[in-house]
Parts: sequence; C-alpha cells; structure tokens
Amino acid sequence: MKPFEYIAPRSLEETTALLARAGTDATILAGGTDLLVEMRRPNKMRKRVVVDISRVSELGGMITSDRSVVIRPLMTHARLQHSELLRIAAPLLASASAAIGSPQIRNRGTIGGNIMNAATCADTVPPLIALGATVTLRSAAGTREMPLSSLFLRPYQTIAAPDELLTEIRFPGLTADARSAFIKLGRRNALSISRLSVAAILRIGRDSRIAEARIVPGAAFPTWQRVTAAEALLLGERPSARLFAAAGACVSKEMILQTGRRWSTEYKEPVIAVLVRRALEQCAAPALPEDGK
Amino acid sequence: MTTQRTHIIGRGERRVDAFGKVTGKAKFAADYSLPHQLYGATLYAEHPHATITHIDTREAERLDGVFAVLTAKDIPGENAFGIVIKNQPVLACDIVRYYGDGVALVAAATREAAEAALALIRVEYAPLPVLTDPEEALLEGSVKIHGDSNIFVHHKVRKGDIENGFAEAEIVIEKKFKTQFIEHSALEPEAALAEPAEQGGIRITGSVQNLFSSRRSVAAALNLDLNKVQIVQATLGGSFGGKDEVMTALCCRAALLSLRTGRPVKMVNTREASMRESYKRHPYVLSYKWGAKNDGSITAMEITCIADGGAYASMSPFVTWRSVVQATGPYRCGNVKTDVYAVYTNNTYTGAMRGFGSPQVNFAIESMMDMLAEAVGKDPLELRLQNCFETGAETATGQTLDHHVSLSEVLTTAADAAQFSAHWKSFRGQTSGAKRRGIGLACSYRGVSLGAEGTDAAGTIVSVQTDGSVIVSSGITDMGQGAQTQMSQIAAEVLGIGMGRIQFLNTNTSRVPDSGPTVASRGTIMGGSAAKRGAEIVRSTMLKVGSHMTGEATGALDFRDEHLVRMSDGTHLATFAEVAAECFRRGLPMYGFGWFQSPKTSWDEERGQGEAYFTYVYGANIAEVEVDIETGKVDVLRFVAVHDVGRAINRSAVLGQFYGGVAMGLGYGLLESFDFEEGIPKQLNFDEYLIPTSLDVPPIRPVVIEHPDPAGPFGAKSIGEPANELAAPAIINAIANATGRRITELPATLERVLLGHALSRTGERGSQHKTSDESCKIRPAGL
Repeated sequence: MKPFEYIAPRSLEETTALLARAGTDATILAGGTDLLVEMRRPNKMRKRVVVDISRVSELGGMITSDRSVVIRPLMTHARLQHSELLRIAAPLLASASAAIGSPQIRNRGTIGGNIMNAATCADTVPPLIALGATVTLRSAAGTREMPLSSLFLRPYQTIAAPDELLTEIRFPGLTADARSAFIKLGRRNALSISRLSVAAILRIGRDSRIAEARIVPGAAFPTWQRVTAAEALLLGERPSARLFAAAGACVSKEMILQTGRRWSTEYKEPVIAVLVRRALEQCAAPALPEDGK
Repeated sequence: MTTQRTHIIGRGERRVDAFGKVTGKAKFAADYSLPHQLYGATLYAEHPHATITHIDTREAERLDGVFAVLTAKDIPGENAFGIVIKNQPVLACDIVRYYGDGVALVAAATREAAEAALALIRVEYAPLPVLTDPEEALLEGSVKIHGDSNIFVHHKVRKGDIENGFAEAEIVIEKKFKTQFIEHSALEPEAALAEPAEQGGIRITGSVQNLFSSRRSVAAALNLDLNKVQIVQATLGGSFGGKDEVMTALCCRAALLSLRTGRPVKMVNTREASMRESYKRHPYVLSYKWGAKNDGSITAMEITCIADGGAYASMSPFVTWRSVVQATGPYRCGNVKTDVYAVYTNNTYTGAMRGFGSPQVNFAIESMMDMLAEAVGKDPLELRLQNCFETGAETATGQTLDHHVSLSEVLTTAADAAQFSAHWKSFRGQTSGAKRRGIGLACSYRGVSLGAEGTDAAGTIVSVQTDGSVIVSSGITDMGQGAQTQMSQIAAEVLGIGMGRIQFLNTNTSRVPDSGPTVASRGTIMGGSAAKRGAEIVRSTMLKVGSHMTGEATGALDFRDEHLVRMSDGTHLATFAEVAAECFRRGLPMYGFGWFQSPKTSWDEERGQGEAYFTYVYGANIAEVEVDIETGKVDVLRFVAVHDVGRAINRSAVLGQFYGGVAMGLGYGLLESFDFEEGIPKQLNFDEYLIPTSLDVPPIRPVVIEHPDPAGPFGAKSIGEPANELAAPAIINAIANATGRRITELPATLERVLLGHALSRTGERGSQHKTSDESCKIRPAGL
C-alpha cells in the first residue's frame, strides 16, 4: 500500500471544502469495502488523499418525506436489509442489500459506496433505478440532482466531478398495489459477485391487467437502465407465464443488441431471460394463473 | 481385531491446542519477531518461461535500508531441491520455468524498503515458448522444460490380459475426464523467521509442514550439516499438503539472507504471493475404457492418466503413484492396464494436496461406475455392491486384502442413511420443473500412510516429569488436523491419566527424530503408534516402581484415573504423581522414546504389482442436490459421509475431518479452479478464487464405522484424506441423476451444467472460447 494522507472531516461543509482543494488527488472512504481492496493492489492507488466521510453525521440515516424515501449515502447494507421502512416502501432494495457480500461486508459497506463505485455488478443499483431514484451531488459550489440512471458513464465511472459528493438518494416509495422482486444469480450463496441480477416492479390494476412495469437487469448491460421494450410488452396485458417469458426474451435480445456477442453471451442470453421471467412471476405470484388456463 | 476396552480413546476430548487458538495466544510463524530483524522479499519471474539474460541489482543495493540483494549466484550450496528429482531451484539461475519462480531476494530494514528495492532490480529476459497443455507436452515436437523429454514419470499396473478382457466384454464404455488445478487455501499464508545460530548454522521458525525434508534442502543449499540447521514448527494455520516445497523455498531464502546479513530475517508471503508461487493440486486428463458383461461384472479396465506436473517434479512421482495403485477403484477386475504419466509444463508446479492423487481418479472411477450402472440397467448401489472388494479380494496390483474389508457395509450404511435407492429411482427422468433433485453415490478404498512410496517410520517422545505432568513431542507435525491431540490421547490412555496432564511441544528438528513427512493421513497411525510405544516404555518402568512401593506384582497393577490401582478391586494405591516422584528418587528414567516402523510393503515398478500399502480404509459419500436447469446453479441440500476409520481416537476430531473434507470436496466439485492464461495465474486472491462459504455447505450426516486394524494404535487407521476424496464424484453423480447429463470436467460451474461446456474469457473483450467437453461413448463391444 502506498503512503497517503488521511483526513476525517466532521461536517458536510468541511468535506466539500476539502474536496474542492484536493481535486483529483482525493478519494472518498465510506465503508472501505471496495477502496481498501483497491488500495492494496500494486500500482493501482493513485490518490494521495483519502477523505474519510464516515464521521459526517449529515450523510447518515434514512427518512421519509412527502411520500419519498430519502436515504443518505452512509446507510450500510445491513441497516437497509433490516429496515422496516424498506420492507414496505421498497422490499426489492432490502432484498438486494441482503444479497451483498457477507455480514461483515454488509456491516461496513454503504449504499453510497455501492453506487459511486459504479461496478456493473453493484446490487443496489438495479432496484434503485427501478424505483426511479434520483441522486443529489454536492460540491462547495452547489448541488445538482439527477436521475440515478444518468449518473453512470460506463462501468466504474460516474459523471460526478472530483469535488462532488453524493449526499442523498431519493425515490418515491412503492404504492400498496405495487409488487417487486430482486433476483441475484451468483456462483455461490454468499460473498458472491452477481453473475446476473434482475430488479422488477409490477403494478396490476383492478382490471387484472398490468398497469405499470419496470425491469432493470444487473451485470447485463454496460450501464443500468430500464428495458422499456420489455416493459411495453407487459403493459395492459394480463399476467401469464407466457407473457413473462416473452418479456424475458425481449430483455435478452436488448442485451445482445447493446453489448454484442461476447465470451459470456452463450450463457447470459438464455439465463437473463429466465431471471426476468422469474422476477416477474415473483411479482405477480398471487395473481398469476397457470399458463393456458 | 476386536475393540479393546479403553478409557479415554474414542472420547471427543478437547483439542490440546484449542485454548491457545480461541484466545489468540497461539503463535503462528508471522507472529514471531526478533530484535534487529530484517524483512525479506522475493522478486518473482515476469514470464512463465524465459532465459534470464541479465540481472542488475546495483540500484536496489544502493537504496536506503537495504542490507542484501541476492541472486542464484549467492547460494553457497546446492541450488536444487526435490524429493525424488532435484530440479527446483531456490532462486532461478538462467531460466525461469513458471510465473512463481523466485529470481532475486532482498533483505531490508522495513517491509516497504524491501518492496521498493524489488522494484529497482533490473532483470532482462529472452522469452521462450510457453507450454501449458499437458497433452501437448507429450508430443515429440513440444517445447522441453527440463532435458529432452517432458515425461518424467510413467507408472504402470499390468494385470491379466487386457485384450482378453475386452474380448470377453459385452459392453465397452469409454470416456475422457478432466480435472482442474486447485489451491490449498489454508487460512495462513507461508511465513518464516530465520536467525543465525549461536554455534554457527541457522535456526528457522516457520509454518513448515514437513520439517525434515525442508531441513535437508536448507542444509544442502547452505552447505551446512543437518545438525546446524534447526527448524522449529510454529503453530500452523492449516496446510492441506500445501506447506512443503513452497516452505522449503521460503526457509532457504530466509536462511540465505540471514546468514548473509548476520541478522534475523523474516519473510511472510502475502496471499497474492502465496497463490502465485505455491504449488497446486494436479490437473489430470483421464482416459477410461472399461469392458463389462451385461450383468455388470467388469472384465477389463484400460486407464491412461496424464498429470500436469507444472514446472518442477516436486511430489508428482508419489502423487501419481497413489493414482496408479487406486486407479481402478475398489472393484474386482482380472484384466487391468493402467498408465499414469506426469509431464512438465510452464504452469505452476503441482504437488501434495489432501487426497494426493486420489480425488482425480475417484472422479473418473465413480463417474464410470454410474455410467456402467446406466448401461446395464442397475442401480448404482447394486452395481457397486456386486463389484466391490470384500475381505480376501485381490487388488489390481495383486495384493490380497487380508484385513477386514468393510466396503459393502460402508456402502449400505450410507445408502440406508440417505435412502439412496428410493430417491435415485424417483429422481430419475424428471421432465418438469426448473429445479430438479438428484442423488449421487461415490465410494473408495484408500491405502493408508506412505505405502511402498518410501521409508515409513516415525518417533514420538513421552517424558513424565517428577510431578507427574507429561511432555510429549514428535516428529509428526500438527497443522491443525489434530495430530497433537491424537498422540496425547493415546499417551494418556496408556498412562491412565487425563489430557490435562499433557503438554505437547511443537516439532523441532533438533530435538525429535526425523519421522518422515506428515502426509498421507499417517499422523495418527504412525505418530500415534510411536506415542503408544513411548508411553508403554514409561508405563513399564512406573509399574515396576509401583510394585516396589506396594508389594503387589506388576501384573496385578494398572494406572487408571491418575492413580496406581490394584486391578482386582480397583483400589487406588498411590497417585500417578507419587509414583513419578518415586521413580525419580530411585534414579529411573521416565523418558520413553517410541519408534514405529510400518509393516512391510513391496512394489515391482515394471509390472506395477505388489503389496502397495499395509492396510486400506473404506468410505462412501452420498450427495443430494438441487439443480436449477435454467441457470445451471447447483445447491447441495444434504450429505451423508461414512468412513471406516479403524478406530476413532478422538470422535470430535474425526467428525471435524468428515465435515471439512466434504466442504473442500464440494469446492472441488462445484466451484474451485485455479486458472492460467498462457502460464499466468488469472486470480491471486479469494475475491476471484471461489471456495465454498458456510451457506454453500449442506448439513452433513456423519457415520463413523469402526473395524479396528491390527496395524494401528488401538486399531486406528486414517481419515484426513479419505474424507476429502469422494464429495466431488458424489455431487457429479447427483447432478447426472437430476439432469440426465453427465459432467466430465471439474468443476461443475453454472456454464458447464447449463451448456455442457465451460466458457472462459480469453484476453480480448468479445472473444469467445469454448472448452468442448468430450462426448460420451457407450457402444457394444467389437465395434
């Protein structure tokens, strides 16, 4: 590990001031579950200053305001996993948080770090994008808010400037008639990096037809996005296994359109379709009639 | 042999090292430091195969805090070690043969200075063609790694007439299997601390598994007599066969730096260095061809195995020898032709790992058995019971098994515990649902200890102190497997005392006799037998003294519950401590040196016939799995492990071996693969090298079967490796039961289960590479 300067600011203001001064020399430490691994790699760590934000109390906690859920970036995966609020307002995010790493990693790792590290396998991002989350970036110069889906440029890269800090993640809580699911496929049952994942939200109207559908695959596309082509297939239809399989096939096709055929496509092509179908089935579980009946 | 009545043998006594380990008082090698110590570091090869054209160390030497920079030319003695073929250098001289070869060493005041100095050493290479495929290594025109042939081992077994065997056959099954490199994954990476000794020579404290072989190599590299090289075993954080040659290299390097600088030198491998440098389990290419009658009796077995030995010979000659002996499995067959080769490549060298040549062949054998069962329309259990060894059977090497062969009992016990046959039938031919259940069976016989591989003897010292406390030490090492507990428990049984009286000392090459390596699951049977003899020597002296003290005949006396007792009525006549004190007062020795040499074995290398091992153990594993046929994900739901251990010395330790063995075997079957790209490891830490977590290991139901063997202490045989050699084939057979498709290459990853072949990233994004798994050939004989 190369030598570095370590600073632990106590307030948001102090943090943004520090970042403004340090510029590209600084990196932010929250839970450290990604950063410390990265810093140990020879020749990887180029940052001279580590700004530890874990003592900045304004960056912790979660509140509801005006039917929106506001999560601050220092919330750990463990707290999100066990949150009563999320169990009702965004159960898919609680599931995704529970699927990350191991208890030790969930106790330290934060949702802010998961987002800003921008790995394609970040488990909390697909649910957040499905929930329509927006994020707030703050610097000494001011704040800006944007949809989470437009934060990412490419794997491991966001549009945040070096002096900008993620301060807030906000999304409208799910309504009582919405159902959601998060499915993760890894090579083992814990401490596993997502091979593929799917976040899905369905709202089925009084007429038993799908009124709203959101599908966001993880580790499938270069950056996360709702697969609107597949969502469109579902709208206005009655849930059925055949319909969900078609939506899955559509996601698979979209994935290949965007990524091209790669070494892993032979596997991912059929499996993403299966996971999408399963996520939708899970959302519709009580309402889903047997296919063909 | 009937089970002897015992007091402490068989009980789940607390491990002698437990308190030290759970309270953090245990000292592992990296925990040792000395005043004025320097830190040593190794510069590794930058190519898997290249000629070193120039090394310039001047800049590194000038760096502040650097005390020595050494290369091969600084080695005073022999720069080559190896148990059979000495071709592994302490530091590469003119050629590097794998990516983990050491090229230069640094000793510096701090670890950071040592790292910085490594970066300043300029090494120029002329790259050579890289050989990574063991089958290609066999070819005439292939790149040669040492000398003019890459084949450095060819073991044979010839029995009966193979042509007649196939002529008699009504069914021939032929199949090619492949296994992978795997990492030992001990929690503790390698570490050593070397210091110049007061009277000349060197003293090394290290995480060493086989202290005596490492000592021989250090002495040879440093031109020292064996009595000038003292290796002290630190408490080991696991080994699984993995702390032999890699520790020999580290001990030699630390010793070189220490003697050069006159200072203590500490070397600790990072996980990345450990994975880069350390040897792996051999990948095998196994070609199996069996002939059988329609009733399932086996008429011929023709077997060829190619083991990838990597860059150096290491333990390959022995590992592959166990394979050749056990390659037919525990099944009767009159006509056998087996050839096992080990070849050099530029992959990381391969050596000892828990199982030692059996996990690879067991995967092929037990897959073949299930395929044969399918072909003749029998249940896998029925076919195994029909063909398996019974007492008096003759093995492929012509050895008559005259001990109690319990395999059919082991098999039926496992099958009953798992309700194997009923499940197997009901899971067959499932056609609906994405999640399919399957159940799979695997069994084995395994030679105990080293066998005809080499000299097999061990010594243990039992020393009673004047207050009746006891010190035990042995040439057999404890790596976490519990050897110290077993030996203590055996000594306690003989002396009639509690475990609390015994203090076990870590092995020190200058204080205990060379007892060979602690490998081959020989700790209990060899070290334990020696402990029994040592304790019996002391007991005999103490009984004589007890007789003088009490006037009773020695034959009427016994030690029990820490007392000298009259056997007839159990009366306590004196305490154990009082008798010890009396022995001392009378000037009698209370020091027992127990030496045990294994019963005779024999081997004819040309025909591959002989009494390969003096006794064998028998085991069976059953796995129940759920296969997601839409994603390829396999979950192991339940597991039954049954082993005849001879006699369980410590029941808890035996069960611990069962559980750990199954968990490791599950990793071998489903997850683990140490992959290379053109000789360069693709993963160097546990973020990418996946071993099972607690959530991947199912509940395991252990059944201990005990048929005491006259060759072992109180009838005990082995369990360390048997426990690890069957889980993978049991799981693979269960997957086949669930899906109707057979996996022929390990591990059964998501891709292999779903697609039937592996996918691997080959450098460029977008490129695609298929490893085509061989298709199965089942055909009528004569075609």
